Amino acid sequence: MFDIKLSIFSKNKSLEKKIDLFHDKLIDVTMIFKKAIKIFLTEKRSEDYKKLSKQIKQIEHDADILRREIENDLYTKNLIPDLRGDVLQLVENLDRVVNRFDEVTYKFYIEQPDIPSEYHIRLSELCSQVSECVENMVIASRSFFRNTSAVRDYAQKVYFIENETDISSGKLKEALFDSPLALANKLQINALVSAVADIADIAEDCIDELLIFVIKRDV
Amino acid sequence: MGYSFFFFLSSGLFLGWSLGASDASNVFGTAVGTKMIRFRTAAITASVFVIIGAVYAGSGTSKTLGELGSINALAGAFMVAFASALTIFLMVKASLPVSTSHAIVGGIIGWNIYSGKPTDVAVFSKIVSTWILCPILAGIIAVILYLIIKLVLRKSKIHLIALDYYTRTGLILAGAFGAYALGANNIANVMGVFVDSSPLHGFNWKNIIELNSTQVLFLIGGISIALGIITYSQKVIKTVGNDLMAMSPIIALIVVIAQALVLFIFSSTDLRDFLVSLSLPEIPLVPVSSTQAVIGAIMGIGIAKGGKGIKWSVVGRIAIGWVLTPTFAALSCFILLFFLENVFNQVVFLP
Repeated sequence: MFDIKLSIFSKNKSLEKKIDLFHDKLIDVTMIFKKAIKIFLTEKRSEDYKKLSKQIKQIEHDADILRREIENDLYTKNLIPDLRGDVLQLVENLDRVVNRFDEVTYKFYIEQPDIPSEYHIRLSELCSQVSECVENMVIASRSFFRNTSAVRDYAQKVYFIENETDISSGKLKEALFDSPLALANKLQINALVSAVADIADIAEDCIDELLIFVIKRDV
Repeated sequence: MGYSFFFFLSSGLFLGWSLGASDASNVFGTAVGTKMIRFRTAAITASVFVIIGAVYAGSGTSKTLGELGSINALAGAFMVAFASALTIFLMVKASLPVSTSHAIVGGIIGWNIYSGKPTDVAVFSKIVSTWILCPILAGIIAVILYLIIKLVLRKSKIHLIALDYYTRTGLILAGAFGAYALGANNIANVMGVFVDSSPLHGFNWKNIIELNSTQVLFLIGGISIALGIITYSQKVIKTVGNDLMAMSPIIALIVVIAQALVLFIFSSTDLRDFLVSLSLPEIPLVPVSSTQAVIGAIMGIGIAKGGKGIKWSVVGRIAIGWVLTPTFAALSCFILLFFLENVFNQVVFLP
């Protein structure tokens, strides 16, 4: 009986650890993404960029494995079904964010867009905003597991920053289409800007659902 | 002791069965309804503990019902339980809130009137005041528990996964305690009226299990409640369990604990004696409604959360139940006793 109890405790601990590790992966990916785009803007598809792109791919792969393990644990460890469903949904939402970071980094790698230097600061700023938005989403998500009352504070930050990214990407696109660049070039950069800004939109969607989970768990 | 005893006991057993079928949802309703606990686990736990509660701690509330009216003929006891069961059936049909505790008290008063025996007004008023006190006390306990748990959760920052495990374990333990308290408090409704006329003897198994005649009667009653839980409570939980308690797992846990504590307080002779030894006021041991305790607890938490806790329509319906259920049970018991005595030539009371 005592062994059973200990085994349940250790299994719970291991699940808690995996969830924490999953959040760590998200923080890592935002940091590397920010750095990678800065390098791309100055060095284009350099060895450094390739290295960072590979790192993001590896994180995406590791996150997928962790997600599957968490999902498996959620269904085998006798959790309350309601919580199980919410945690599962949350982990899948977070995984979507990691995947999108990987997709965007790869898009830059494959397409090698020719981005004029006058847009570098704005694009770099947009990437920083997106990263900050996701970071706050990750902190909100982590808080959901330990301190639900803090989720709302970080959620508010995510909403604010996501709005800022909308404004930044809008201005960047406006400037882009006002420029004498070739239409093909404009469309290519426009698609990339949209892809970057979309990451913040996904983070916002995650927060929307997270807030519902918090209401459901409210004591 | 012939088969006639079991025939007369059947109305009490039916009451027990319906009590198990309906009141198990107050103990395990949310946990099973939201699939936190499997029905099988809940039913087995509830059945075992309801029987233990009935046999071990059921005497206190039965004594109080005995003080209200000592039904001294088996046929009379049968009709009191039958009239109560009939009242419950009709009240449920009319969608009015009903409690076995209220019905049986009405039935006993009906028997008192028919047999010309006086009803102790002091005992009656003690019972009625307990009915009113039950949801209020459940509400107060729920609020205290709610505030403590909220504070602990805020300070301790337990991981949600660990909290989930504690909640689940807590629901099983609270459910077991709730079932024990239900058996201890409500067995009087099921078997209390048969105590004075029961021909059953005590039971002794190698000096390990020793039961007196009342405990044997309560064991039979406890089994009938357990059968109600096993055979029909799942259906009740599926249809009504979730409506009453659509709440988070922790709130559900608080509600179950509050309800169990109230039922325990009103049935524990040990607790009563302990409080008396401390020169504190004596707690009346009275069968109360577990459903009304649950409603009181939910309303209490509603108030603590700053919402509209008290739904006056629900309070009104409960108050109607307090008046209507015993009145109808008394009236139907009186009429049915007349038929039993004059049409079927049964002895329904001894002078």
